[in-house]
Amino acid sequence: MQREEKQLEASLDALLSQVADLKNSLGSFIYKLENEYDRLTWPSVLDSFALLSGQLNTLNKVLKHEKTPLFRNQVIIPLVLSPDRDEDLMRQTEGRVPVFSHEVVPDHLRTKPDPEVEEQEKQLTTDAARIGADAAQKQIQSLNKMCSNLLEKISKEERESESGGLRPNKQTFNPADTNALVAAVAFGKGLSNWRPAGSSGPSQPGQPGAGTVLAGTSGLQQVQMAGAPNQQQPMLSGVQMAQAGQPGKMPSGIKTNIKSASMHPYQRPRSRTCPDLRLLHVCGELMDTRSWTAQLCLKSCAYSVLPEMVTASVSLEAHCLHRPGFPDSSLAISPGCR
Amino acid sequence: MEAPPVTMMPVTGGTINMMEYLLQGSVLDHSLESLIHRLRGLCDNMEPETFVDHEMVFLLKGQQASPFVLRARRSLDRAGAPWHLRYLGQPEMGDKNRHALVRNCVDIATSENLTDFLMEMGFRMDHEFVARGHLFRKGIMKIVVYKIFRILVPGNTDNTEALSLSYLVELSVVAPAGQDMVSDDMRNFAEQLKPLVHLEKIDPKRLM
Repeated sequence: MQREEKQLEASLDALLSQVADLKNSLGSFIYKLENEYDRLTWPSVLDSFALLSGQLNTLNKVLKHEKTPLFRNQVIIPLVLSPDRDEDLMRQTEGRVPVFSHEVVPDHLRTKPDPEVEEQEKQLTTDAARIGADAAQKQIQSLNKMCSNLLEKISKEERESESGGLRPNKQTFNPADTNALVAAVAFGKGLSNWRPAGSSGPSQPGQPGAGTVLAGTSGLQQVQMAGAPNQQQPMLSGVQMAQAGQPGKMPSGIKTNIKSASMHPYQRPRSRTCPDLRLLHVCGELMDTRSWTAQLCLKSCAYSVLPEMVTASVSLEAHCLHRPGFPDSSLAISPGCR
Repeated sequence: MEAPPVTMMPVTGGTINMMEYLLQGSVLDHSLESLIHRLRGLCDNMEPETFVDHEMVFLLKGQQASPFVLRARRSLDRAGAPWHLRYLGQPEMGDKNRHALVRNCVDIATSENLTDFLMEMGFRMDHEFVARGHLFRKGIMKIVVYKIFRILVPGNTDNTEALSLSYLVELSVVAPAGQDMVSDDMRNFAEQLKPLVHLEKIDPKRLM
């Protein structure tokens, strides 16, 4: 008995606190509606409703809690009804119920709904019973399905509108364009590839031994880099270009020394996939033609070309352009090879 | 195959081997303004710098399969500026942790007779384009936003046509070899440009 009493008291306390919370939030909501109705926004109203619904939920949970005794079994009987003011009651009810009298009691201690409401409920229950269990079940199922469909549609709309809002901003770049631009910069894809008309100078691919190229037309010559197919025999070939002796006319003489693999200073694994180019050292300045005689220092443009079989290092000496009016303008570029 | 790790190369004097760390992305024309504003906020405070450059890429074909590539660049809007010659090596592969494309890089300034010189040496021009855009700097990082224009008549830089409706965005650092923390800084900076632009390391060989 005592345990049940204790349980009853505990549950009553919990219920009281929940109800008090609910009352407070309701009160604040009403205040908000009455006083701030011109500034009120829909989200704030929704917040209040959400708060109320949460509190009702907890109230329900408290009531359904296993430790709560069935309040249905408890009966409240008024013992004394008097038309006088009751200060105690006033305090406890925060001034709402001043008198515990005949008018107050039926409202506050009510256990059944109004007669009209009771009638309506009875009507509804008879209607529901009339339909029959199967039909009722079907109706319930269809209602559930419609509700879930509607929920899905709403959530999808919400998701799409969110991303749709972002989509116009999202397209700030186009990956296909990125690839196209990178390809254009890296190896000229999409740009007009220009080749000089009639590449002059015979090209002699793959000849063992020296290739000699005569200096002919102005300006266009090809440097021969003959690679030896067999690396056993080191080859040394020098290619000397003839110089056109006319003053005021171009060309440069290019001396090519081609050395082969075995003397290469770098020991490194040979690659079979693709040849390897290493620019050893390029530095210096080509000054303006008018100040060639000034300090001019171009260290080598030395390429070390490493095909799979043969290493050839090419060092170049170039005597550059003779310009009219500058008889002393001979630019000697000395090779420096690392 | 790539060059051996640059740190192994004997240094017998001359310049230090410089590596270029690169991240690339693109931005559509209509979003260029917002990108420029963001970059102005993020980068060092300097007058916005625009440039118009004409770049020519020269190839030297040897017996081997892959030719030797040199890039010559000159300014079209700055009179008197020197020409710029650049060599870029193959990207160093292998390190997945490295966030940027790394390749060997050699830069020099030259005088105006560079094209003649290269022709003499046996180079042939492979392609050329005009780049027009903006330049920003943050510390050692250089951010370039430019549009590539195709040159319709060889040699005529006035008659150009845009290659695409996007601007290319490049974040690059030229630093001595071996400084990989640079790529971390670059990645952090690239994060700040998202979602406007996605800067990533794009392997050009994949696009061949």
